[in-house]
Amino acid sequence: MRASLRATIAISRVELLRLLRSPTSFTLLLLVPALQILLFGYAIRPTSAAVAVAIAGPPAGQADIARLARDAHLTLVAQNLRPGGARAMVEAGKASIGIELPIEPFAPVRAVIDASDPNLTAVAEQKVSAIYWQALAERNEVADIGPRLQIDRLFNLDARPDWAFLPALAGTIIMISMLMLGTLSMARERETGTWETLASLPVGRVALLAGKTLPLALVGTAQGVIVVGLSILLFDLPVRGSIAALLVLFPIFASAHLILGQALAARARTQLAALQGAIAFYLPAMLLSGFLYPFSTLPVWAQWLGNLFPLTHLIRAAREATLRGGDAGAVLLQGASIVMFLAVTLLAALAQYRSRLD
Amino acid sequence: MKAREAPLISVRGLGRRFGTRWVVRDLSFVLMPGVILGLVGANGGGKTTTLRMLAGLTRPNEGEGSVWGRDIYRLDRQARRDIGYMSQRLSLYPELTVRENLAFRGALLPPPSRPTIDLAIERYGLSEVLDTRFDLLSGGWARRAQFAAVTLHSPRILLLDEPTAGLDVLTRQTIWHWLSEFADAGHGVIISTHDLAEAERCAYILHYADGRVNGPMPPAALVVEAGAASLEDAVIRLATRR
Repeated sequence: MRASLRATIAISRVELLRLLRSPTSFTLLLLVPALQILLFGYAIRPTSAAVAVAIAGPPAGQADIARLARDAHLTLVAQNLRPGGARAMVEAGKASIGIELPIEPFAPVRAVIDASDPNLTAVAEQKVSAIYWQALAERNEVADIGPRLQIDRLFNLDARPDWAFLPALAGTIIMISMLMLGTLSMARERETGTWETLASLPVGRVALLAGKTLPLALVGTAQGVIVVGLSILLFDLPVRGSIAALLVLFPIFASAHLILGQALAARARTQLAALQGAIAFYLPAMLLSGFLYPFSTLPVWAQWLGNLFPLTHLIRAAREATLRGGDAGAVLLQGASIVMFLAVTLLAALAQYRSRLD
Repeated sequence: MKAREAPLISVRGLGRRFGTRWVVRDLSFVLMPGVILGLVGANGGGKTTTLRMLAGLTRPNEGEGSVWGRDIYRLDRQARRDIGYMSQRLSLYPELTVRENLAFRGALLPPPSRPTIDLAIERYGLSEVLDTRFDLLSGGWARRAQFAAVTLHSPRILLLDEPTAGLDVLTRQTIWHWLSEFADAGHGVIISTHDLAEAERCAYILHYADGRVNGPMPPAALVVEAGAASLEDAVIRLATRR
């Protein structure tokens, strides 16, 4: 019994020492929670401050609605638009809420809401209702006498959360798998020594990188096709825009994350350190991309940060191609940022390959 | 060494440090065709770093040199074609069979012709394990497969990092037989080893101690220089001499 206790204490002591003397494991324990605390504490605040509102209709009453919108912590991006102008801004993705004030006395106030993100829809509908009731109260009107409120949801009539979630899921699955595949494949090559051998052979860096990336990028593309295909077949996800353009983006998006994973692993000494780098990348990407929380409710600095992640743009592209009915141009426009990210990771990986084993 | 032939490798004052610690310093030697040069000395003495510098895997911090006529700081693809580098680890793809590993090597290194691969299979007696996964091979078979892969493109220079470590005496004999054949064909071999009986088979040796390099010299010359009775005794004396 005593021997067993002594053994337990000895093993525990060694385990603790190993942990304290391994900077990678220790950092892993500190970095990820620190990242979560910072992101959840500062960035993931469901604030409506950045939710964009546009107001159209007759000038009378616009100033009051604009004031109430500001009081409700919404961001007014346009007012005094011609009738239909607010709706057009929501359709173009320039505003999340469009308020169309009635021209005729007994016509309803129409609030057009971008429902492609149901989380945002709930916030927007709540805010619009609050503004409506506040406006009525200020005019000493009641709902029966004053104009009625009619809410029109665009892109996702029933605000189905699965319709918003599924296109975004394609990007998230590709991102995590490709980062892991890229990281582990390179880390394994380094640990088994095959990387050292490859580096000694007369193989150019570009051929090396392309050869290691292309087959896995095809796997990532297949993942995206399967997720979108199953979403259409099983969950009636509408395809209103250019799905072909989205399919063009999948291999670019997959390659960007594969190469990032390879660059991380080429830099790191162990698989664990490389995985830590991958986690430190994809955790904020998931939180700040609009996958888990509505992008437009994030603080401006968090949105700026979120725009650096390719996932943010792939989610937008996927929603354009499915829910929003974006044409090839609108979908591929989101791809520009992904291509830029790919170029940066490519340069970083080539620089890593240049240094080879030093 | 044969003076009239062009050297395969020539380095002068080569050095490499990691941080502030010099792992190799003042390394100078010439490797002529047909010569086997052995690297001996304690672990961490700089033998692997030397091989890596010569293979273009680690950049020297000082000195100058050339490998088969090319600047050691700029070993291009052509230079790499003339080098066969074998690391300490059994660095072929573990999930692939021997045949697949050799075919992959053949595709990267001209000439990738099938007869070349067949020749290597026959030469290293690999036909019975050709379709066996590399990670299922015993140490001896794995080294044979690695030799086949490293020599597949008929390199002019072989850089071998402890290729006989952990192998039985028969396999070691076989490997030395191959190395002698390779050198007799006019190629050059640099081999690091802890086995001093093996080191005695080298025409010249470099002795590593505390980042400094002694040699090159014939093994017998090192014994005389250390005032020792044998090469093992000489290495021990030099390692403990401060």
